Parts: sequence; C-alpha cells; structure tokens
Amino acid sequence: MLDRIIFGDNQFFGINHMSEEKADALMEKFRELKAIMNVIDIAYEAGIRAFMLNTNERAKEICDYIRQHHDRYADMSFYPSMPYAHKYAQAVAEKGIFGAIRDVILADSTAGDILGMVKKGGLSLFERDMMKVMQLLVDMEMKIFKGLNVKVVFLQNIVTDLLLGLGVKDVFISFASYIRDKYGVEPGFNSMNMPKLVDFLLECGIENPIVCSSINKAGYFMNPDIKDYERTIREKPFRPMAMSVLASGAIRPKDAIEYVCRQPQIQSIVFGASSRQHILETKALIENYCVN
Amino acid sequence: MIKCGFIGFGRMGITHFSILNTHPSVDVVAVCDSSDIMMKILKQYCTKIKTYADYKRMMDEEKLDCVIISTPTDSHADVIKAAVQRNIHVFVEKPFTMTPEEGAAILNSIEGKNIVTQVGYVNRFNEVFMEVKELINNGVIGDIKNFSSEMYGATVLKDTKSSWRSKKKTGGGCMYEFASHCIDLAIYLFGQPDKVVGSVLQSVYSSDVEDIVSSGFIYDEGRAGLINVNWSDQAYRKPANIVKVFGTGGKIVADKHAYKIYMREANEQYGFDVGWNTRYITDFAKSVRFYVRGNEFTRQLDYFVDCIEKSNFNNISGFSAAQKTDVVMDEITKDASITLSKIKLTNTGSDGSPLMKNTAKRSSIWSKFSKQEVENVR
Repeated sequence: MLDRIIFGDNQFFGINHMSEEKADALMEKFRELKAIMNVIDIAYEAGIRAFMLNTNERAKEICDYIRQHHDRYADMSFYPSMPYAHKYAQAVAEKGIFGAIRDVILADSTAGDILGMVKKGGLSLFERDMMKVMQLLVDMEMKIFKGLNVKVVFLQNIVTDLLLGLGVKDVFISFASYIRDKYGVEPGFNSMNMPKLVDFLLECGIENPIVCSSINKAGYFMNPDIKDYERTIREKPFRPMAMSVLASGAIRPKDAIEYVCRQPQIQSIVFGASSRQHILETKALIENYCVN
Repeated sequence: MIKCGFIGFGRMGITHFSILNTHPSVDVVAVCDSSDIMMKILKQYCTKIKTYADYKRMMDEEKLDCVIISTPTDSHADVIKAAVQRNIHVFVEKPFTMTPEEGAAILNSIEGKNIVTQVGYVNRFNEVFMEVKELINNGVIGDIKNFSSEMYGATVLKDTKSSWRSKKKTGGGCMYEFASHCIDLAIYLFGQPDKVVGSVLQSVYSSDVEDIVSSGFIYDEGRAGLINVNWSDQAYRKPANIVKVFGTGGKIVADKHAYKIYMREANEQYGFDVGWNTRYITDFAKSVRFYVRGNEFTRQLDYFVDCIEKSNFNNISGFSAAQKTDVVMDEITKDASITLSKIKLTNTGSDGSPLMKNTAKRSSIWSKFSKQEVENVR
C-alpha cells in the first residue's frame, strides 16, 4: 500500500520550476542540514510518514541523520528517486558518457571486483552487459538508504524519458525486476510524459506500474496535454502518483488539491513545502478532499 | 516519412535522437559515431537502427532526408558540406562553424538549394525569451536603448584536458560552447551589433581556452549592450541566461523561467499595470508532444521537421542567422586582443611593472598577448 501523502524534497535543493530567484532563496535557506531536518520534523510531527528523496549528497546526510536518530523516526518510509542526474552531468560533459559511468563505478570502494571486470581485455563491461552496469549503479545509489524502510525505488525522469524516447524496453524490464528481486520493493518511474510512458510500460509487460508525474490543474509539465493525462488516469491499469500539484505555486492550494483528488485512482500526492503553515495547510486539504 | 540520420551520439545527439524518434513524421534510420562501444550498444538495444562509422557512407546508403549533427564544432563544416552536396536538410548543434569564412562558404553553397538549415540555438525556442522578443518587437517598452545579455554556469570548475570542450582547436572554450548561446540570444532579440568594443577573454581554470567572455555591443541606431558570460561560476546550479533591457517606455528583466516588466504606462493588450509586473513560465508555458530535458529542445526539433514538411526555407534559427553569431564571436576575439594590450599598457604598478604579470602565467590566452606587452613595458 502506497502512502497517501508523500513529502517531496525539491525545495531543499533549490528547485523551483517557476523562478530562478526563488530557487536561489531556497538554496540559501537550506544550506545547513539542521534547516532541512527542522522542516522534515514538522512534516513528521504533522503525521506525514513518507518521504521522496532524490539520491544526492544531501540525501545521504539526511539518511545518515535519520539512521542515527532511528527511534525518533521509527515509522518513516522512503521513496528514493535515482540517479541524481546533476552528479553525472558534470562528469559526462568532461569525460563522455562511458567515462563518467566508469568513474562513478570505480569511485566506489567496494567495487573491487568490478574494477577487474571493467578493465578486462577484449570486450568492456559496457559492451558485454549494460544491464549489469545499470544494476551496479542502482546498488551504489541504494547504499544511501541502507537499513531504512524503502517502499518504492524510482527511475528519475530525465533518464526515464530519455530511454522512453530511445524505446529501450530492456532497461525498463531489467530495472523493474532488479528492484523487486534484489531489494524486495516496488519499482517506480518518474516522467514528464506520463501517458506515453504508461502505454510503454504496459507493452513491456510491467503490470500495474507505479508512475509519478506532474498532475495539476494548470496542465504544467504535463505532456502532450492535460486531456491525455486525464484519459490515461481514467482508462489505464496503473498506479498514478501526483507531483507538482501546486505547479510551483501557480495554482491556489485549495483548487490544486481539489482538482487532483477528483481524478480517479491517484495513489499518492507528493508535495514539498518549507514552512509549517504550508505543510499543515496542504496536508489538511489532501485529507479533506481525498477520502481513502 | 522523413528519413533521419544522426551524426555524433554524445549527450546532445542522444537527446535529439530521443525527441525525434518519437516524432510521428520522422523515421530515424541510422546513427554514425566514432565511438565503437556506443555503436555496439545502440545496435544491441535499438535493433532497427543501422550504425555507421563513416557519415558519408551513411548519407549515401540510407538516402536520408535530414541529418542531426552533434559532433565537436571543428568537424561541423565538413559534415555540413557533405550533407549539402547530397541535398540533405541539416540541423547542426551550435555554434555553426569555427570561422566566419567557413560559414560564408557554406552559405554560398546552399544558395538556390531547397535545403532546410537550422543551428541548435535553443534559447530561441524558450517561451519566456519568445515572449520578450514579441514585447520588444511590438514596442511595448518603447525604443530599446540599452541591454545586457548574461549567462552563467558551473560547467568548468577545473582544468580538464580530456574533453574536446577544453581545447581551442576542437572548438572548445567558453566562447563557442557557452557564450555563443548568450550572443545569439542578444542577436535574436536586438539584432547584430555594428561594433564590438571592450572585449576581454579571461581564464579561471582552463589552460587552453577562456572561461569568461565579456564584451560591449554598439548599434548604429544608438543602442548599446553588454555581454557577460562565465562558465566557471559555481553560484549557479544550472546554466542560467539573464537578459535585462531598458527602453524608453519601460524595462524587462528575464530568465528562462520568468520575466519582470516595468511599465511607465499601463498596457491593456498585455494586461500590464504601471510599475513592475511579473510573469512566470507557468502562466504561459505550453506542453510539448514529448518532453526530454526541456520544452525548448522539443520545440526546436519539431520546428525543424515542420520547416521540412512545409518547405519553409526561412528558418528562424537557420545558417544565415547563426553565421551572424559566428561573425560576432570572431569580432569579440579580435577585439579582445586589442583590449588586453591596452589594459596591460595602462594598468601598471608603482614600479612600472604590469599588474597582469602573474595572471599571464596562468593561461596561454593571457600569455599569448602578455609576452610582447611585458617586453614593451620594460
């Protein structure tokens, strides 16, 4: 059972789709881990138990803190999203795609045997088994969450959508089964192209997939359009999770939540906020409009 | 169906592939890249795609209608020429070519040919900048007197010698890779300057290329602008473009996500009140057919396809538009060498030694001009 309300993390990393100025202000506000934990504490005390975290350096700090204070956050569950694209972007610009992946794999101290595999003469690991490479990368990012209660592992939207465009079914099938088999949790997919992705995942034979995408009244970040989203939510067998429900603040919270809750079969709403008032308000609105 | 081939399959090539592979009118048939590993993997997972190591062979064998070129800049001219000879429509990543001469020769060669050409200046397809252009063209802030076009990012934070982007001869450097976007945006919004002044190229980390580009644009009709670009600026999480425009009727401050407009008088047509008005991209963003990395990337390629389908040879980001940016970049580089000489002659310490002496050791760009100057001062 997916959590009805999931607290998102974009605000902690200076992400605001509406304004670069607001994004900078958020970066400054959440410079210290303490500031992030204060907000997480407010959400936790308000009864929110699920958190979506992009795998990055900040997420590592947050997870370390929560492990250290395990008693206090005993019921907390996590919905990680990977890979953290910005970590790779810099390395890719510098060393190319394979150079970047190789460096990330080799930088991992426990990947000693992998080192041998990468360097082995003849075919490189990339040529022999890209799916093995994908699994290594997943394992590396999952280390952040060791010992914590993970419910769903998401493939982040830039990677999901890029591979969706390429039409590479193997990666989706392999990711889904690896997450299930190795970690015993559900795979999920973030996307900016939800209708197309849902069709594709069903074609891949991934049943009742979990897809997290922007779902908001403004139609913002909903491609190709809001009608296609509404139709897909109505007709396709999948588990939609809604994010960007407030469209970075472009819609009034009451209208925003009311709209999302009117859509059938929405499993969860992911929202991020950085003040007590916004957290409590949004949570109350979801509880008011979305009856389980 | 439009038969499409890709030349160069790195970060941008893959992005473009993903966008066009989902286009209902496009049949992506072949990819050419010098990376053997990349081509083997592509063959393995995208079985329908033919792979090549020789782009001319690909063009000949596949009977392509269009190509998407995302190779290092120093190869652009040759690949474009091969495509043009075969009457293939061309989309090439920015910048157009390495020199204005190369670009001019290509422009000559396409004269009279029905070829759609486009260069990947993606800011021209960003909704905020598109709207700012409309506001300027419609005279909403009166006569433009002054502007700045800035671009910052944390792309280069150390001296990396491994990438083609860090080498001058392969078309690397902040000017081609980064400033080209910012300069093209200025040309798109305000036109090509008549004169380039006060240009300076500086290094922060790189040993072979510049990391900062600054320049002044002067227009005969009495308009002036500043260009300020830095790809070694850690203050920015993602590359950011900022445009500030002053006109006789108001002012606009815009980035990729929002713009603010100050109005001396209200404008009913656009719903602007007197004073500051803010418009966020969420207010006017339109969805795209398929989204990868940003609306504007899809919009630019869909426009390219649309031009092919409608035989529209006046592409708003075509070769002739991009050639202007190449010419201006060349002017800035020439102007920078003069400016640097001036700086070093006038900015001397109390003992008469040039203040730039230490900086000169840091990079070849500086030392190229400084040795002579140091001698002169002595």
